[in-house]
This record gives sequence, C-alpha cells and structure tokens, in this order.
Amino acid sequence: MNRQNFWIHLMLAAILIVAAAILGQLRRWQSDIERFKPTTANKPTKQNRTKKDREPEVLVRFRSDVSLSEIKKIAVKLNDIVEDEIESVKNLVAIDDLDGLSAEQVAEEYRKMADLVLYAEPNYEISIDFEKPQLTPSNELLPNDPLFVGQWALNNTGQTGGTPGADIRALKAWQKTKGSRKVVVAVLDSGVDYKHLDLISNIWIRPDDIPPYEDEELGLINDIYGFNAVDNLADPMDENGHGTHCAGIIGAEGNNEIGIAGVNWQVEIMPLKFLGRNGSGTTKDAIEAINYVIDRKQKGLNIRIINASWGSHIYSKALEDAIRAAGEAGILFVAAAGNNSSDNDKFPHYPASYNLPNIISVAALDRNDNLASFSNYGFKTVHIAAPGKDIISTWLDDDFKEASGTSMATPHVSGVAALIASLDPEITVEKLKKKLLDSVDKLDSLKDRIKSGGRINASKALEN
Amino acid sequence: MRLSKETALSHARKDLADRLGIPESEITVESVEDVDFPDASLGAPIEDEMAAQIITSGWKICLQAKGSTYEYRADENQIRLRSFNGSNKIIFGD
Repeated sequence: MNRQNFWIHLMLAAILIVAAAILGQLRRWQSDIERFKPTTANKPTKQNRTKKDREPEVLVRFRSDVSLSEIKKIAVKLNDIVEDEIESVKNLVAIDDLDGLSAEQVAEEYRKMADLVLYAEPNYEISIDFEKPQLTPSNELLPNDPLFVGQWALNNTGQTGGTPGADIRALKAWQKTKGSRKVVVAVLDSGVDYKHLDLISNIWIRPDDIPPYEDEELGLINDIYGFNAVDNLADPMDENGHGTHCAGIIGAEGNNEIGIAGVNWQVEIMPLKFLGRNGSGTTKDAIEAINYVIDRKQKGLNIRIINASWGSHIYSKALEDAIRAAGEAGILFVAAAGNNSSDNDKFPHYPASYNLPNIISVAALDRNDNLASFSNYGFKTVHIAAPGKDIISTWLDDDFKEASGTSMATPHVSGVAALIASLDPEITVEKLKKKLLDSVDKLDSLKDRIKSGGRINASKALEN
Repeated sequence: MRLSKETALSHARKDLADRLGIPESEITVESVEDVDFPDASLGAPIEDEMAAQIITSGWKICLQAKGSTYEYRADENQIRLRSFNGSNKIIFGD
C-alpha cells in the first residue's frame, strides 16, 4: 500500500467510526424519548383493576379456643375463604372475600364477632397491588413489616384485644430516631440466628480495624459475628431460639417488608452465646461472655448495652463483679426480673437483683398494662416494666413466634436504651438509666410493686 | 431429637426404674399434665444454672414407686427430675 492509499483508507475508517457513533447516539435518543413518553398502559392501578384481578385480603386472628375447622366454617358463612394460615401466630389467618366487599368492610364483619375474634385488619402489605395503598396521615409512620399489626407492644390499638395505648409509644419515638448502626447492643443469650432474614442487616460484624479476640486461656478467636462461650468458639449461632427472639425485639430490621419491626429499625446486634440448646447455661460461661464484651468495648466498639433475659436465684459474687466491670466500661446491663410471680425484694433473682448502678431490672406487662401474672416484682429492686406477654418476634430458620416472659420485656428496655444512645452517643450509663426510669408512664397496676411505678415510654425517653 | 409427651413419659419411667433398681412394672403413673413452666430450666434448675426467662410449655409427670411420688418435668428438648435426694437432675438433653 502506497502512502496516498494509506491516508485514503485511514480517512474512510474515521468517517465510518464517526457515522456509527452518530447512529448509535440517535438510537439512544430515540429509546429515551420512547421511555419517557407519558403512558398509563403498563401501569396497573387499584382503579383500573377489576375485582376478578384482586380480592380484598384481611388478616384475622381468632381466639385460641377457636379451631381451624370452625374458622373455615365462619369464613364460608360470610362468603369468604381462608386463603392462608399464618403458622407463626396461633389462629391468624388470611381471608379472601368472595362477595365484593372492601377489605375494611370484611375486617369489620369479623371484628363484630368479638367473642371469637381478637382482631381483624385489612392486609395491605401482602395484597397484590402494584401500587402501595395511600397511607393516611396517622399511618405514615407505620412500618411496612407484615406482622407489625400484631406488635401490640409497639403500637397498641386494641388490635389484639388489649387496651389502646398500652404500649411503649414506638411510633412517636420513631419520629425522632429509628436507631443507628453506630450503637451496638450485646445480646447475651443462646446466641442469635445471625442469618435470619429480618435480622441479617442489623447483625454486628467485627470491623477490620478491630483485632480478633484473644483470651489468655482460649487463645485467638476469630470473632466475626460475636462469641460462643458454651463451646469457646467464634460461632454464636442460636440453637434454641430465645436469643433470636430477644434480638428481634431490640432490632429486627424495620420497614423491610419482612416479618416484624424492632424497637430499633437499625442497630448493631452482637450475638453472644452462653445458653445452650435447652436455654440454660452456667455462671462461668456468662462471665466469659461478659469479659468478651468488655474486651471488645475496650478495643473501640461502641457497645452500650448488654441484654440479659435470663437468671436464677443463685448469687454469684464473680458474676456481680463481671457486671460491675461492664458498668465501669460504660455498659448498661438490662436484666429480666424473673418469672416466678414473686417479690424480688424478698427472694432475689440474679443478675437482676444485684445492687449495681448499671443494672436495670425489668418486669413484664400484658397488653392491658397489667403486671403479667408470671412476672416478678419488687418495690425496691425491680426498676421498670415493659410489654412481655404474647410478644411476636424472630425465631430460628427465618421464622417468627409469639413468646412470653420477662425475657421478652427486657429487650424492649434495651431497645429503647439503644434509641437514646443513637441520639446521644456520649451519654453515660448513669444518665441513660435515669432517662429510662424518669420517663415512664406511671400505672396504677405497678404502684408499690416496682421502683419507678411505670411502663417504659420510648417517646418520653428521647426527650431532652 | 424432639420429645413428645409419650416419649418423655417413657424416658421418665425408665430413668426411675434404673435409679431405684426396680422393674418398670412396679412404677405407676400418677399424673401427666400440660404445664407452662416459668423458665427454660422448667422451674427445676440444677446448681449454678442460669435459665432463659421465657414461659416454657411442657409436661409435669408424676410417677409413684415404693410408696413415694417422683416429679419429672419435660419439654420437647429435655427431661428433669425434680428434687431427687435434695437436688434437681437433668436426665435428658444438655
């Protein structure tokens, strides 16, 4: 090829490249124009869908003595069908209407059967609408978690047969904060199912700048998700379910369209395992796990709270000393008052009854703001009460389950403490405890029975 | 292995027979009740045991042998013998 032909070929190639580029850009412009053309053809709405496309769905929870076959008969009588049973909540079913009523009308039909039905609510979240329902102003703060309707402890509208307002005022609190992943809450328990879909985003993972845990006796432990004192291993996977339940109350991810909402929509849950498969463990293993938490705190993690939904009547000086050391490290220790229906002033329940400045002892309430029948109390030694009966939360294998106990009341208090810490990261343990106790709603049912005389109020606790 | 009421009863009978050195035929079942226990130790903690404070559904099994009544407590994970020679014992589950 001579020099002249070379330049001609080079120019032709350049012209072709420029032409292709212009053509490509024209096609992109055309595509963009098509994409942004106003159209409603592919946008299904509630208005343009027929009844055949979408039946209203309602979640109805029947009383525990109503059998499934009775439920089905009732549904048939109302020209409805039981579309699904929600296994995680006893006697909760999804109802499909067959006679053209709105979801609210169907719910109302069931609500009228108060002797059989605990609550009935339109099931907006699992409807097949492509558009979300318009939220009324009062609904704007409701998370879209489908089981939130049953979380009376956070928002009691009387939906489960309880007293409206007998809750921790979560909705109002969430106007101020929904928590922070900069706050770490250690769940000292049976471990946590850290793979649970409703927890996974809020599980603590050791940051790269924090070295693996090193213990003189145990050696080096690569603590990715926390610590297992039962087997002295790094893996704190829950085999019982109890720790997972407590973790969900504190911090199941909120507004993720899965399961429940935690008191904190976002937080860091540090799983610690010292209770075994049966839900019990030894004092020594509890101390091992507390030592781990203190070490991690001293290495720079912002661990503010240990949740302790366990106990016994056995006094241990060593455990008391370990909890005192946690307090000196700036960690609040929130402990279950116990489930023996007894007076802790006379029959102490440990660790809740240790007289330490960083301990808060928690009694349990039912959905009517009454002290739960099983709950311990103590005018001098039990500090605060929180919902603890029929509490739905996360369970093993991505499941959800209702449970009762001061175990369930305790994480409500830990959760509110974490909300406070999210707004006031430098707050001292003493001030954190004082804020929780000073902001309670006084209840007649708790007068002379617990020290603060009241139920925790998350909203008031977040006020300055 | 998850325990049922029946398997729990069977384990309890065998345990008591072994413990007392008698054949199972000499043990009579006084009662088997569905019970909500106060915690994960079924209200029968062993020494130095801390228990999750969760109401735990299970069974209270009362067996009679040699003129005495022996109380077992069980749930789907464990069986305990309550107050035998002054202390509680875990006979199944750890």
